[in-house]
Amino acid sequence: MTEKLQRSAIEPKNPLLNASRNSNLPHVPGIRIGDYIFLSGMVPVDPQTGERSHGPIAEQVRVTLSNMRHMLESAGSSLERVLRVHVVLADISHMAEMDRVYREFFPVDPPARTAWSMQLRFGNGCEIECVALAG
Amino acid sequence: MSAKREVIPLPVRAPDTASGSGQPLSMAVRGGDFLFVSGLTAIDLRSGERMQGTTASETRQILTNLKQLLDAAGSSLDKVVKVNVLLHSMLEERNMNEVYARFFPDQPPARTVCGARLPDGVKVIVECTALV
Repeated sequence: MTEKLQRSAIEPKNPLLNASRNSNLPHVPGIRIGDYIFLSGMVPVDPQTGERSHGPIAEQVRVTLSNMRHMLESAGSSLERVLRVHVVLADISHMAEMDRVYREFFPVDPPARTAWSMQLRFGNGCEIECVALAG
Repeated sequence: MSAKREVIPLPVRAPDTASGSGQPLSMAVRGGDFLFVSGLTAIDLRSGERMQGTTASETRQILTNLKQLLDAAGSSLDKVVKVNVLLHSMLEERNMNEVYARFFPDQPPARTVCGARLPDGVKVIVECTALV
């Protein structure tokens, strides 16, 4: 392959959702490379305040996926163009509740997905990342 | 316009979970030249029934199914780029590896293995990204 793929960082239109910059972490919210977008793991952040949003797990999943939609749309993509999702929960017993909310965001032809549980930072109940097609 | 997204119709359904009906996921989604396969657990592809067993037997069942899924999607095991394996215990890594190696005899894909809490008592989950 001789063609050089363009690589660029993705930024949310709402600067309060640039969690990695706001927390001084060594990563960007996402990278676009060629036709693909790779998002970093997203955690529940209140889009009004930029603070962690630690309500019930359903609310945490809802705010995280809503922020993911914002992140993808900021980059000219959308939830409909997501190819694969990783859902990580702090508590495996939240799987059914997560699924219930998840369905609201991916009602038809959902992406490929893997979901599991492991330790998450800052007391977050979920962390969700995805690969999507660019717009 | 960029690459096309396509959900690959497969003669398979994800096993039912505590959440009620099947899980909200597609077994495989194609985007451009890449195929993304969901984390697979050990099931009977025809009935969707769980095939709970040892780490070795679950790994064998998953990779047998994965081979079929990839073939049906116009890909194959030797076009797999990256694999993620999740184990219920890292003490079982060797048991998984012995079976795994038989499915990827030469030039195996890139891979990450990690121990994690898995849903519904499954011992192994395998997901992959492959070329179409």
